[in-house]
Order: sequence, then structure tokens, then C-alpha cells
Amino acid sequence: MMLSRSLVWLLAAAAVQAAKIAVSSPKVTISGKGAGVLQTETLSLTQKSESLTLGPTDTLKLTFQLTEGTPDGKGVQPHQTFLRFYDAASGEEGIQPVRVSSGGKAKFELNMAKPPPSLPPTSDAPLSVSLILGSFVHESAKYELFDLHVPASGTIAPHPDATQFAPQPEITHTFHAPQALPPRPVSAVGTALVFAPWVVLVGLMSRISIPLPNLFSTETLPFTILLGAFEGLLVWYWVGLRIGDVLLYGAVLAVPTVFAGNRALRATGRWRAGKR
Amino acid sequence: MRFFTKAFASLLTLGLVGLSGLVSAKSSTGDSVLVVLDPSLKRENYSVFFSRLEQRGYQLTFRAPKDVAPAIMEYDVPMFSHIILFTPETKSYAQDITPQSLVSALEQGTNLLIALSDKQTPLSSLATEFSLILPPPGTPVISHHPFPRDAGVDLFTAATIPTGAAPMFSPAIPDVWYRGVSHALGSSPYLVPLLRAPAESFAADSTADGAGADALVDAAEKGGEGLWAGGAMGLVTGFQTNVGSRAVFTGSVDLFSNELAKKHLPLGGSGGHIGGAPGNNRWAQDVAGWLFQETLTLRIDNVTHHRAGEDFTPETYTINDDIVYEIQISKYDIRAETFVPYSDIPDLQLEFTMLDPHVRTALPAVPGKPGTYQVAFRAPDRHGVFKFLVNWRRTGWSYLHSSVTVPVVPPRHDGYPRFLSAAWPYYAGAASTSLGFVLFCALWLGGDVRGERKRGGKKVE
Repeated sequence: MMLSRSLVWLLAAAAVQAAKIAVSSPKVTISGKGAGVLQTETLSLTQKSESLTLGPTDTLKLTFQLTEGTPDGKGVQPHQTFLRFYDAASGEEGIQPVRVSSGGKAKFELNMAKPPPSLPPTSDAPLSVSLILGSFVHESAKYELFDLHVPASGTIAPHPDATQFAPQPEITHTFHAPQALPPRPVSAVGTALVFAPWVVLVGLMSRISIPLPNLFSTETLPFTILLGAFEGLLVWYWVGLRIGDVLLYGAVLAVPTVFAGNRALRATGRWRAGKR
Repeated sequence: MRFFTKAFASLLTLGLVGLSGLVSAKSSTGDSVLVVLDPSLKRENYSVFFSRLEQRGYQLTFRAPKDVAPAIMEYDVPMFSHIILFTPETKSYAQDITPQSLVSALEQGTNLLIALSDKQTPLSSLATEFSLILPPPGTPVISHHPFPRDAGVDLFTAATIPTGAAPMFSPAIPDVWYRGVSHALGSSPYLVPLLRAPAESFAADSTADGAGADALVDAAEKGGEGLWAGGAMGLVTGFQTNVGSRAVFTGSVDLFSNELAKKHLPLGGSGGHIGGAPGNNRWAQDVAGWLFQETLTLRIDNVTHHRAGEDFTPETYTINDDIVYEIQISKYDIRAETFVPYSDIPDLQLEFTMLDPHVRTALPAVPGKPGTYQVAFRAPDRHGVFKFLVNWRRTGWSYLHSSVTVPVVPPRHDGYPRFLSAAWPYYAGAASTSLGFVLFCALWLGGDVRGERKRGGKKVE
């Protein structure tokens, strides 16, 4: 079936010499809604005309005459008379066939209030409008007509997965502000206040004489040192240890402390009872 | 003397084998190809395409659509890595080939090449499922440009897509001859356009000027899809599935035929090599290379994450931790026939997600280590179950998806800052207490015992 159709096309193409299609009196009229004609242009086919602008309620009318060979020839109705709207910036394209009468008169109307579905989605960039003529018997041709500025269309809803196919915007997490602490000078003043009684104590103690004959005696010194070791263990706990280790070391320290403490108390008891 | 000739012969074969290794390019997923050929199409007419595939290392198996063996799947396991269906006009197949079985093979990683025509077949309804909109039956795509031509209007040249827009093609492929149908592309981003129709082409079944023109205008005004026309139409379109397999729908089987591969381009044709050889052969081989997962094929080798400054992967992270994430990606190299590290992905992104992405950063390549991409960031101060998500999709490339779940916990009781400036007075107080206690004990133990000395003093006097 396809083979026979190609054969028909082949024969049709081979049968005739190619005669050109002459496009004569191409005219563009832009009229506003009820306001009459806004702009009329005669298009040149050899070079692109200047760009036209359509408002949201304007209508564009394009008319031209297709004849065989010369503008005075017989009117023709070629197989393909298409207007191509192409947005070079986004790559969107729309093809609109133009109705041509059997006498070769072509007319196309574009009403922006009711745009045809062949008009592609538009943005601020202009649409380049070109005329494509194709025929089984005549020579085909392409003409660049003009640039057309139309109002931007609404965007089509993209496919839900389309956002994944391009880099997505970066997200940085806003962290909570670190906890606000009172200023350090205030803490320093507080610390000074806490140490103030020591100053008083040391001052008062320096006024009286405190005899300490047994401070370094062998009975009491071990206990004093072990007490200091316990305090040291607590400081170490504060800085880095965990409770399990502290209890272990504390238990290890407690054994000699018990003996040293008993010895020290026995000694002080002896001293108070009899020695001096 | 014989020893030398033997050595020379073995050296020669080694050289030839090495050379053929450069020429052959085997797929990353396997080399068995099933070609289902319509009985009306002769295998010899496509010998250029098939023999070149065989030269590249693929094992081709031929069968007719109605043959029972070899089946495409046995017990739901695909028997071939790739399937070519050159059956544009076949309406009935053997039991193993149905649209459902083809989709099931695709889901399991088999790549498909499906030929369409202007007739309605079960495969054209399958094409609709892939977001391709086919024209009405009996309307092949034709083009009146350029004119005059020695062939019918249904045979025309189409310009190939340049390498910048379609990286699977080698550069500067000349125009290709085409005779078949076109289709409109739906909005699915999974479609990969491989060949677009020329701007002057359109789908029509008319054969004469006058009535045909009216028919075209009526078709456009009818609404619905209207007229299939223009450069927005596709002629050959690929589809990449989520699983990584690829399918190509071609509107023409003649595109792969010897006849069109040997026909010279017309003078005055569009672009490139005027009057020279067409690009059919090179284009078809590039498409086969993409379809059979040779080109643009990536995979993730390894994913690691750890805290900054450490090198082991912890079981949980704490909020506000500094985390380093590293991923290794490789690309299938045709010459080496294996995956090699690939550092040229410019826009890889990492998301740290719990229901919504909390952090999304770029994953740049590490300069010294090929194939490694690394980023360091700070875990949000929300606890919960997060995942490191890399989801990279680009048209034509295989999709990279990696999701690693990791818990982020609030600090433990001893994970908070320990030494605060606001607590200095309390440290001073506690220290004073300890110091005072030790001092008191020392003074009490070491001090004089005045009370008893009075009595002793009296006695002495």
C-alpha cells in the first residue's frame, strides 16, 4: 500500500517540469478590537520585513495571491501552504495551514482574543513567521515574512518529574542561634563576689597566730594527702571522667584513706588524752 | 626458521586482535541481540546495519514474529540483553511477544528498538504509553522540500541533532535519508529525541494538490491534535526508564536499510556534505551504541560518609555534626570495555532529606582522585532519620540514584558544651567548698591541743 502510494508520488513528481509559484501582493493588516485598522504593511518576499506587534485583543490578517509562474498567471492551490511560527529562544514551533481558494487567493486571520491551537507558547521573545509552500507539481519555496511580538502565553504545567532533569536550587539550613550567655565580665564579677569571703578569712587568719606543730607529722599527713587526692579525683571527674571510672578510682583510694584516717584520729585522741 | 615465522604469526594475530579490540565496542549489559524481522523484510536489505553490529561484538539471533522459538522470555526471565523489532506492519505475533511482555522485559533491563509504520499495530499502542503521539493511520510523513527530487515526496533528508544537544552522537554526522512516519512528542522528560523532522515536513495521505490542501486545513481546524507538522515532530525518539534500560521508537525501518545508506545526498540539500554519502550508517550505529548501553552509561561504584576528621562510618550522627560525603562514579568506556572512573559531571547534587530536603549542595569532583565527588556540610540541628540522596537525571544519560539512610540523634547527656562562661561563679563556689574542707581537716589535725596543756603546765609548776 505504501509502495503504491510512493509510486504515485514518484510519477507525479517526474511528470511535470517544475513551474514556480509566484506569491503576489502579500499584505498584513493589524486591526484592533472595534478600533479599526491599526497598521497595514505590504511584505517584501526578498527580505524580512520589520517586526509587528499584536496586542491581546488585536487581529492580524494576512492575504496573498498564489499564481503559476508570474503574478498574471493562473491561480494555484498548492498542497502545502503553511505559516510557521518559530520562537528561536525557546525552540517552540507552531504550524498553521493557510486556506487557499481554488483561484489561488490565500487568507489567514489570527485573533489574539481566541488564538488558534497552532500558535506556540510565547514569551517576550518574538516569533519568526515564515511561509512554506510545497506542491506536487510546482517548485516549492520558503519565505521569511516578519517577526511577530505577541503577548506572553501562560506557561504549560510541566511534567511533575521535569524538575529533576535540571540542577535544583540549593538549600542551606538555618541553624538556631547558639544559646545566649551573659557577658563574661558579669560572670567575672560573680566569681569575684564568690571568692570575696576567702579574702576576709585570709585577712582575719593572718592577724592571729596559728601554731601548727602536727601539720606534717607522719600520723596525720597521709590522711591529709589522701583527702587532697579525693578532691583531685573529683576535679578529674569534672574535666573528663565518667561515673564508672570515678567510682572505681574512688573505691581504690578509699581503702588507704580509711586506714590513714583511723591512724590520724587515734593519734589526735592520744594527743588530747595524754601526750602534752 | 620455523620458530621465527611462528613467532611472527602469533605477533601478527596479537596485533590484529588488539586492533579489532579498538574497533569493537561491546555493551555494558550483554551482547545477545534478538532481531524479530517481519517476513516481508529481507535480511540482506539490512546487511550493512547488522553486519556492523556483529563486527562490534554482538551475537544476533533472527526470528520471524510468529516463530515460537527463541522466546524473548522464559519463566519471566529475559533471554536476550537487547531486542530489535523490525516488524512495522505485523499485526499478530507469537504468544511470547505482547506489549506487556515487552514492558516486562524492559523492566528487567532489556533494551528495545521498535519500528513503527503508518499501520496500526499492537506496538503503536505501546508507543502511546511512552508519551509518543502517533498520527492517524495511513499518514506517512512527507516533505516537498527541496524540489525537484528524483524520488517521491515521502523520501527526504533530515538533519541530525548536533553533538552538543545529543551527546550520544559522534560529531558532524551528515543528513540522513528518511521514509516513514513521524510522531509528536509528549511532555515526558524521559524522552530522548534522536532525530527530528525537518521544519517543512508534515504527515499527510493526500496525493494531489487541490483536495489535499483542503484536507490539511480541515485537519488543522478540527481540533484535538490537529496536524502533525513541523520541526517539533520527532522521527526517532528514545526513552530511558527508571531502571536504566533504554527503548527507541523509530518511525522508519528504511532508515536502517542498505538502500538509503548508499544513496547519495542531493545537491542543494540542507547543511553539510552536499552530494556526499548520507549519515544513515554512522547515525544508526551511534543510536545502537546508545540503545545497547555503550555510550552515556554511568554507574555508582561506592558511597561513603563519615564525620570530618574521622575515617570510619559511625552508626549515628549527632545534630550539628560536620559530615563528609563521598561518592564514586564511573562511566562505561567503549574501548576498554569496562567502567572507568568519570569526573566530568558538572552539576551533581546531594540532598540531606527527612521528608523534605533540609540541605541541598553541589557535589564537586575531587581534583586528585578520578571519579570521586565529595562535599562537607553541617548536619541540621533537627534530629530524626535522614537520608543522603543523590538523584541525578539528565536527558540521554543513565540515571544515578543513591539513598543512604542515617539517624541523627540529639546530643547525649554529656555531649553538651561542658565549660560555660556563665558557670564561673558556680565553679568558684564548688572549688571553695572543696578547698575549705581540706584546709579545715588539715588545720584541725595539725593544730595544737590547748586544753590539755593547761593541766600539764600547772603540774610542772
